[in-house]
Amino acid sequence: MRRHTRRIFSICYRFTGNRTEAEDLSQDVFLRVYRTLGSYRSAHGGFATWATSVTRNLLIDHYRRTKRDRITDSLDDKMPVVENKESAGRRPDEQALLGELSAQVQSALTRLSPELREAVILRDLQQLEYAEIQTVLSVPEGTVKSRINRGRIELARILQQMGVRPA
Amino acid sequence: MTWTCDLIEARLSDYLEGLLDGPERAEFEAHANSCVDCAPLVASVRSLVGEMHSMEELETPPRLVYSILDKTLGPRETVTGWQGFLNVIRGLATPKFAYGGASVMATLVIILGASGFSLRKPKLADLRPAAIYQYADRGVHRVRARCVKYVSDLRVVYEIQSRLRQDENNLQTTPEQMLPKSSPEKNPGQTDEHKPSQPRQQNRANELSRQIEMLAAELPMLSERSIR
Repeated sequence: MRRHTRRIFSICYRFTGNRTEAEDLSQDVFLRVYRTLGSYRSAHGGFATWATSVTRNLLIDHYRRTKRDRITDSLDDKMPVVENKESAGRRPDEQALLGELSAQVQSALTRLSPELREAVILRDLQQLEYAEIQTVLSVPEGTVKSRINRGRIELARILQQMGVRPA
Repeated sequence: MTWTCDLIEARLSDYLEGLLDGPERAEFEAHANSCVDCAPLVASVRSLVGEMHSMEELETPPRLVYSILDKTLGPRETVTGWQGFLNVIRGLATPKFAYGGASVMATLVIILGASGFSLRKPKLADLRPAAIYQYADRGVHRVRARCVKYVSDLRVVYEIQSRLRQDENNLQTTPEQMLPKSSPEKNPGQTDEHKPSQPRQQNRANELSRQIEMLAAELPMLSERSIR
């Protein structure tokens, strides 16, 4: 269970960028898994894939529910963010949770659209195969590859705007 | 195929993941290295992907697992005192644990028995390494002596059997030699060398028993045994 907890918390945190929200969402994921365990079928893939799919659905639902809050965030997106040692608005414990560089990548991730964000998180941060991502997102493999590609390019451009130099 | 910047951008992930074949890869690199827009894009995305792959796994908050369990299974009451102890005992009373415990006990009993520790009259002194070594040494010598004696006894039996067989063969091949010979002619006043009280026909059983006695004298193992 700890292994699944770690994976699901990681996905939630990478998607939301907020530790408290990630903890709450992780609990909601396990609650939904616990309640709908009877509906799990091996045709849905392995248990980990099915749990990831449930996580993804909850994250999208959460994103749509809190969309209004993010209208103000989109205004901040138009302002250039100057690179500094400590990310603005990030709590010290979250800074400690990540490294400095990964904190910058995390900040850039939250600026991606949800479709591109989830594709990049599943491929580059969770190391899932294309077939597994296809099952989780319920889209064709070509769409998965296209979203991953666009997400990476968009992420690189956001980091460039933030002033983060590639290594 | 003519590679444009849009095509470079569209196939960038395929290039980074090694999904382009040889000629395509060469053409891709030829354009990307020479284009002022594509070169920095390829470099930045390559660097970004490398950084994301090397990012350390997040540490789960320590209480998250327990809060998940509370939310799914319900809050658990902390049991203390005798109830807690009985819960532990109940948890141990499973067939798997019972089989494991029995195996461990049996192994301990075998090891203690082999080390010379007496379960009827246990003494701590029997568990000293020197005592265990001495017991084991005595046991090894005892077993060795029994093996040597067994092999020697087998040898004696084999020797006896082979000589008996030999004598039987001699009997069968030369029966006429076994007939009693008439006493040699002797002149009056002359006696033969043989004792008249013992006939020249020798008792084969006496000969055999004599040979067995000689054999037993050679082997010290039989010195204490009586021949049946």
